[in-house]
Amino acid sequence: MATTVNPADPEGPADPGSGLGLRDRRVPRRPRSSGRSGGVAGSSWPWLLPLGTVLLVVLVYPVLEIVRLSFTDASLVTGEPYSVTSETYTSLVTGTDFRHTLQVTFLFVLLSVVFQLLLGLAVALLVHGAERRGLRGVVATRAVVLTAWAIPGVIIGVIWSLLYQETASGVLNHGLSLLGFSGNTPFLSDPDNALVSVIVANIWRGTALSMILCYAGIKTVPDQLYEAARIDGASPVQTLFRVTLPMMLPILTMNLVLATVETFNSFDMVLSLTGGGPGTATQVLALDVYDQIFRQLNLGRGAAMAVVLMAVNVLVIGLYVRLTERQEKEI
Amino acid sequence: MSLSDHNSPASGSSRPGHVRTPARAGRVADAVPGRRPGMRRRTDAAYYAAMLGLVAVFAFPLVWVASLSLKTGPEVLRSPPSLLPQDPQWANYAHVLETTPIGRYLLNSVILVAAGVVGALLLSVPAAYALSRFRGRMRGPRAFTRAVLAAQLLSPLIIAVPVYRVFVTLGLINDYVGLVLVYIAVTAPFLTWFLKNYLDTIPTELDEAGRVDGCSRLRALVLLVLPAAKPGLVSAGIVAGVTTWSQFVLPFILVDSPDLAPVSVGVVNLQSTSGEITTQYLAAGCMLAVAPVIVVFAFLQRHIVGALTAGAVKT
Repeated sequence: MATTVNPADPEGPADPGSGLGLRDRRVPRRPRSSGRSGGVAGSSWPWLLPLGTVLLVVLVYPVLEIVRLSFTDASLVTGEPYSVTSETYTSLVTGTDFRHTLQVTFLFVLLSVVFQLLLGLAVALLVHGAERRGLRGVVATRAVVLTAWAIPGVIIGVIWSLLYQETASGVLNHGLSLLGFSGNTPFLSDPDNALVSVIVANIWRGTALSMILCYAGIKTVPDQLYEAARIDGASPVQTLFRVTLPMMLPILTMNLVLATVETFNSFDMVLSLTGGGPGTATQVLALDVYDQIFRQLNLGRGAAMAVVLMAVNVLVIGLYVRLTERQEKEI
Repeated sequence: MSLSDHNSPASGSSRPGHVRTPARAGRVADAVPGRRPGMRRRTDAAYYAAMLGLVAVFAFPLVWVASLSLKTGPEVLRSPPSLLPQDPQWANYAHVLETTPIGRYLLNSVILVAAGVVGALLLSVPAAYALSRFRGRMRGPRAFTRAVLAAQLLSPLIIAVPVYRVFVTLGLINDYVGLVLVYIAVTAPFLTWFLKNYLDTIPTELDEAGRVDGCSRLRALVLLVLPAAKPGLVSAGIVAGVTTWSQFVLPFILVDSPDLAPVSVGVVNLQSTSGEITTQYLAAGCMLAVAPVIVVFAFLQRHIVGALTAGAVKT
C-alpha cells in the first residue's frame, strides 16, 4: 500500500477547475518517506479528502456555477427554462445603475479601509505603549475595542441606526447640538450623509480587527531594536518610522488585504443600517448582488454582478495567498 | 471585562509570533534612564486619557443601546435624551422574550454554532495535520493550502446563491441539517488554516517518537499531537464560535422560518417589525443577541487575542 503513491485523485474527475490548482500533480514521493506501517501513512490525500470534498462543494462548485449563471437570463425560480446570453454583462456596462453601485462601493471601501488601518495602527501603538509602561487597564481597553469585532454585522447596523436617530432625541444629534450644530441632522435620510454615516459605522466596526493585527505586528519587533534606536538617540517619532513601521510592513500589507476584501464583501451591516437607501445612495456591490438575485429574482444579472465582486475577491485573495506564502518561506 | 489575565502570558503564547503579554512590561519603562519622574507621570496620564477616550468610543454604542433598552416608549422619544433611564424598565426584556421568538433565535444560534464548530473541527483536524506534516512531499497539499486560504475569504454571498438553488432542488431549504452542513463548510477553512499553523509549531519529533513505538499516524495524532495542541484547538474553536455567531448571509438566504433562524437573522426580523414607539424592545433584542458574545469575551479574551494574532503573524 505504502508504495501506491496516488490513491484515486479525489479532486480529479469532478473538478474541471484544475486551474485552481486543486489537482495532484503526481510528483513521486521520496523513497525513504515514512510510509513503513502501511495504511494511510504514505499519502496525505485520505486526510484531506473530507475537507477537500467540502471545498469542492462550497468553493469550486459555487464559483463555477456563478460564472455559468452569469451568462444566462435565469430567474431565481428554479426549474424554469432559461437561455444563454451575454446580455447580462453588456447591460451592466451600458447601464448607469451599476456604475453608480461601483462608485458607492469604491468610496465605501476606500474610506473604510484607509481609516480602519490608520486608526487600528494608532490604537495598537497606544495599547502597546501603555503595556510597555506597565499601566493598568490595558487588557480591558483592548477587550472593549475588540467587542466591535465580535458583534454580528447586522446588529452593528441596528445599533448604529439607533445612534443615528434623526430627531433631537437621537443621541448623536443631541451631541451635535451640544457642539452648536443642528440637532436634526438627517444622518440616514439624506443621500450624501447616509454614505458617510455608513462608512463611519463600518470604520468603527473594522478598526478592532485592524488593531489586533497591528498589535500582533508590533509584538514581532524585537526589543533589541528599540534598545538600539534608543542608544542611537532616536526620537519616538523616528523610532516609529524607522524601526516599528518597516518591521511591521508584512503585517500591515496583510491587514490592508484583509480589510479590503472584508469591506468589499460586507453587506450585512449596510442592510440593517440603511438597506442601501435612501434610494440607492448606499447600495454597495454585495448588497446590490443580494438585491438583484433575491429581491428582484434576476439571477442572471445578479450573477454577473457577483462575478465582478468575485473578480475583485480573486485579485485581492491572490495577493493575500502570495503574501502568506512568502511569509511562510521566510521562516 | 476581565482583568484577571493582566500580566500573565496568554495560554499557548510560547509559540513564535504569539502575543507576548507584558511579563516584563515594567522593566522596559524602568529601563528608561535620564527622564525625570514628573515627565513620566505626565506621559502616563496622557496614555490613560487616551485609553479612556478609546473605551468611551468603543463602549458607547452598546452602553447607549443598553440604556434605550431600559427606557419607556415616551422616554425613548424624549428630547434631550438622557443616558440613564429614569426608572429602568426590566420588563422590556420580559416583553421581548414573550412576544417575539428571540429566545428561539438564541437557541438556534447556540445549536448552529456548536454543531458548526464541532463539525468543522472534525473536518479540519485531519486536514490541518496532513498540511502540516506532509508538507513539501507532494504538489497537492500546497495547492490545497491555497484553496483553504482562498475559501476563508470568499464572499458568503457567492456561496449562498448556488447552494440556495441546490437546496431548493433537494428540499433542504428550512432544514436544520442542511444549514448545519453549510455552517460546517464555511467554518472549516479558517479552522484548518489556523490549526495547520498551530501544528507547525509542535515538533514533528513528537509524532515520530510515537511512530517509532509503533503507533499509526492516526494514533499518534490522537494520542500525542492533539493533547499537545489543546490550547490551539480551544483558541481556534472560540474564534470560530464568535465568527459563526455573526454568520448572517447564509441563514438569511437559506432559512425563512423563525424555528431555524439564528439570532442575527432574528434581529433583522425584529427590526422590520419595529416602529419608533417600540425602539426600546428592538434595543432589548440587540442586547440579548450580543450578550452571549460579551460574556464569552469577558472570560476568554486572551484566547481570542492570542488566536487572532497567531493567525496573522508567523515569524
